Amino acid sequence: MESAQKLHVVRKAKKITSRTITYIGATVIVVLFIFPLVWMLATSTKTEMQYANDLGSFATFLPNFSDLSTFFDNYASVLTEYDIWKYALNSFGYAAVVVVCNIIVNALAGYVMAKFTFPGKGFVSFLIMFLLVVPVETTIIPLYSIVHNLGISGTVLAVILPAIVSVFNIFLFQQFFTSIPKEYIEAAQLDGANQLKIFRIIMLPLSAPIVATVATFAFIGVWNDYIWPTMVLPSPQPGEWPLYPIQAALTTIQSIEGVTTGEVMASLVVTSIPIFLVYVFAQKYIVAGIGVGGLKL
Amino acid sequence: MKKAKKVFQVTAAAALAMVMSVSLFGCSGDNNEPAVDEDGNTIVQVMVHVAQQSAEGMAYNRITDSFNASDTAKENKIRVRVKYSPRSNSATGYETELIAMMNQGTLPDIITFDAPNTWSYASSGILEDITDLISQETQNDFFEISKNTYEGKLYGLPIQESSAGIYYNKKIFREAGLLNRVENMTADNAWTIAEFESICAELKDDCELPIDLQLYMANDETATYLLYPFILAQGGSFLSEDGMTATGYLDSAATIAAFQKIRNWADSGYTSYDASDVGFYTGQYAMYLSSGWSIPEIRNQYTQQLGEDWGILPYPKGTRAASATGSWSFGMTTQCASREETAIVLEWLVSTDSSVSITDATGMIPARKSAIEQKNYTAGSPEYLLYDQLNKTGTVRPGTIAYPEFSSAFRGIVNGLRNDSNASSIVSTQTTTLQNNLDRYER
Amino acid sequence: MVLISMIIIGVFVLLLGAFILKDVLVAKRAKVKTVHYTVRGTVGAYLMLLPALALLCIFVLLPIVYSLGYAFTDYYLLRPDEVQFIGFGNFADIFEDIAARGNVYNAIMNTLKFVVFVVPLQIGMALGLALLVNQTIRGMGVYKVLYFAPVVISLTVTSFLWVRILGGGETGLLNSFLAQLGISPVSFLYDPQGAMYWIIFVSAWQGCGYQMLIFLSGLKGIDKTLYEAAELDGAGKGKQFLAVTLPGLRSVLTFVIVTVFIGACKIMVQPMLMTGDQSFTITLNYLMYIEGYTYRWVGYSSAIALMMTVVIGAITCVQRYLLREDD
Repeated sequence: MESAQKLHVVRKAKKITSRTITYIGATVIVVLFIFPLVWMLATSTKTEMQYANDLGSFATFLPNFSDLSTFFDNYASVLTEYDIWKYALNSFGYAAVVVVCNIIVNALAGYVMAKFTFPGKGFVSFLIMFLLVVPVETTIIPLYSIVHNLGISGTVLAVILPAIVSVFNIFLFQQFFTSIPKEYIEAAQLDGANQLKIFRIIMLPLSAPIVATVATFAFIGVWNDYIWPTMVLPSPQPGEWPLYPIQAALTTIQSIEGVTTGEVMASLVVTSIPIFLVYVFAQKYIVAGIGVGGLKL
Repeated sequence: MKKAKKVFQVTAAAALAMVMSVSLFGCSGDNNEPAVDEDGNTIVQVMVHVAQQSAEGMAYNRITDSFNASDTAKENKIRVRVKYSPRSNSATGYETELIAMMNQGTLPDIITFDAPNTWSYASSGILEDITDLISQETQNDFFEISKNTYEGKLYGLPIQESSAGIYYNKKIFREAGLLNRVENMTADNAWTIAEFESICAELKDDCELPIDLQLYMANDETATYLLYPFILAQGGSFLSEDGMTATGYLDSAATIAAFQKIRNWADSGYTSYDASDVGFYTGQYAMYLSSGWSIPEIRNQYTQQLGEDWGILPYPKGTRAASATGSWSFGMTTQCASREETAIVLEWLVSTDSSVSITDATGMIPARKSAIEQKNYTAGSPEYLLYDQLNKTGTVRPGTIAYPEFSSAFRGIVNGLRNDSNASSIVSTQTTTLQNNLDRYER
Repeated sequence: MVLISMIIIGVFVLLLGAFILKDVLVAKRAKVKTVHYTVRGTVGAYLMLLPALALLCIFVLLPIVYSLGYAFTDYYLLRPDEVQFIGFGNFADIFEDIAARGNVYNAIMNTLKFVVFVVPLQIGMALGLALLVNQTIRGMGVYKVLYFAPVVISLTVTSFLWVRILGGGETGLLNSFLAQLGISPVSFLYDPQGAMYWIIFVSAWQGCGYQMLIFLSGLKGIDKTLYEAAELDGAGKGKQFLAVTLPGLRSVLTFVIVTVFIGACKIMVQPMLMTGDQSFTITLNYLMYIEGYTYRWVGYSSAIALMMTVVIGAITCVQRYLLREDD
């Protein structure tokens, strides 16, 4: 009896030690992962002088508590000087449309590739692999010509349409759907559901984690893009609502002469916050429900 | 009901695809008809490389607004529209957009371009020859060195001049007892390389760093732009007249010796590859090699540290004198459909008033004489020195259609000297690469 | 342009048709009927694929075909009207450059170095983090979000931040702390030996959160009873990992290895923003960008792209073969 209790105590102590070690280890890694971001946040509240003075001491990672009157100055100059909210609204609009279409179009394709047998499937799957491998960085000039010949240059369609399809996402959906047991589909078919209904009622809900992942990344992609939108969209005209996305406005801020480190950091924080919120919102779906056999290749 | 839904969904998907393939047949861009607005005004499109909200962008805004409100615009029935296409990293993105537009025939009527691109844009037919479209009076008013010419023809006129010089901290010089040796220097009685070195040597103990040559900026054009006059002044050379041969020029003994000097200065502690880009502004460094664009930065942000106790010195001279010049310019494109109207706008954009207005905003100096007169710089002021130097020793970067390759080789040498103290081997490697790249154009 | 585009799309549709026909004929002639195609099923499948295929064709395939087609021409960006077919001329130039240990050679070696180090590092970090936050300990959800933070911040932003951190001179964050210790400034990003390793580290740091999520979803899928069984057999933590976790993650691991490998081969932004075109950090994709956009020789740049595609494609096929699951 006594020895059992002893064993229990030892076990408990062991458990506590191992937990403590885990926490310490996890925290050390967290520091490594987010110190640049903490630094970005801290610097965004400082004047150029404070930034320079704090370098080399621990204060560089702390916000500017010493002079609260200038705490939000950088944000004020970033947010008020330009109609940044208009650009942010544009980006939200583009992202919303792209995210929804992206999921429907790519998930549908992934579903077909995973669950259908049809002639020509080998060819399509080769095409997907090929497009996954090719470097696409130099295709922007032919893409511009295509968009122009489609007659959509200068409209928001030029930003939205090319962003909808993603080979990577098709591939991801295909791998995921493969792991969903055939029985689900067969049962539904017996109930007389058609393929689109099966896709909508069974496949999409079961793949909530992947949908959330794809949505997050599609959002990030649209939110961060600026080279392509500024190429195909007309630049803002006085008195008209601008079409440019938020990154165009922020690039502007960063390229202006005499911008301070703090202002640049503030603009980076401003662009990163919506993305971070989207992720925090999406992440509880991302890892929640993969109970159906996991991912299978 | 369910069936209807299914049919709808399928048709929606099919329709999307149909729309796309049908519109492929559809319109293709042809821009040779002049664009006209609802009031019958000819629209002249201008594309610029800066952001609308930057000081320079706002100046463009003012100039084009004043044009649209002017009698000139009303008499000739012209309206100007500006597309702001700001690029954060170098000019590559801006050029990509230009080329994409060129392929589709949608180039604007007027574009801005950086001076070294004159040769390639002119020879490949992006820029229009404007020799006969711009009045002689205007042409004569510009500094000869500032005009963008190719094979004797005029292709562009600069917005302003980004002449560079050596900024110096008078306080540090005074405390070191060196102020009287530099204070009254002008372009005519500039110091020599030897004097420059001896002053650096004496300053070593009086400040953190005698001079910041911006050697850390060798990843973009800045280092090339600021440093090439040093090489030329010491008898160095870059390319043959036709811009197609580097061997025998870039690797000449004088060029190698001049590059070696840069490394030696770093070794002697006169300058450093790891200098801080605000070291001069905060009063730690005695001198700073930079263009006129640093003037507003100092005046707006660093008055606390530097006050008015600073000035600009000319580039030191060796066997000859040279100073950096050549800036972004306005040019007319070959796809311009209304050349007369566009020429009128172009003249307005580079007019004396516009030059004054833009340089007031950017802090740089104008490129035309009448505007300089209006600005009325006092002798001894930083701006006056820059103007004086431009007028007397301004030298442009080498003319070649392969300027990006040249710049890359130059930057490669500057970067290479960071890790290798032997200039001759670095220069010879870069010359071989550059010559190979130049030979591609001959095939 | 429009005509050529129509021809390319036409060829694509014909090819697709030919493969459909081939599959149908093969299925019909097969002695043992393993696959059975129905007209209804086929039409349904293609209708559902149509949006993706149409968009892929127009906005992805078409630009790529153009770009790869330029590999056999002397296309110079500023002279689109004087493009000439030059056969394998560009490829000859590339091999000449490799033989002379020029830029292509440097780029290949640097890319190789990057891939060899970053793939195991990034996957290892991702797997380690996934195992860490997968433990049923309170607070791990918060850690998970924080480890993922660098992923949601764009590559441009993180590169910008790390340049400030590793930057030369005393104004670099790391150097400012080293200065406190009396160590003189180090140019981390300009050190020919070390710079590439910093790029590798920053890339893994930035990217591994994404693979962590994929691993995490894989870990959730492993049957808990397998661990209990292993524990009863007296297997320690290490043995459990080898006997249960790794086999359970096999399919996820394949997906991660393939995608991380392909992504690593295409590295460009980090060296571009962190060091510029130094001989010791230039990578193939970055070189391709410089040749095509800065120097404007699209033909040559496309030839590099084509070679990259063939090599990466081949390696990916081998990987998929080696990592295949024996059903």
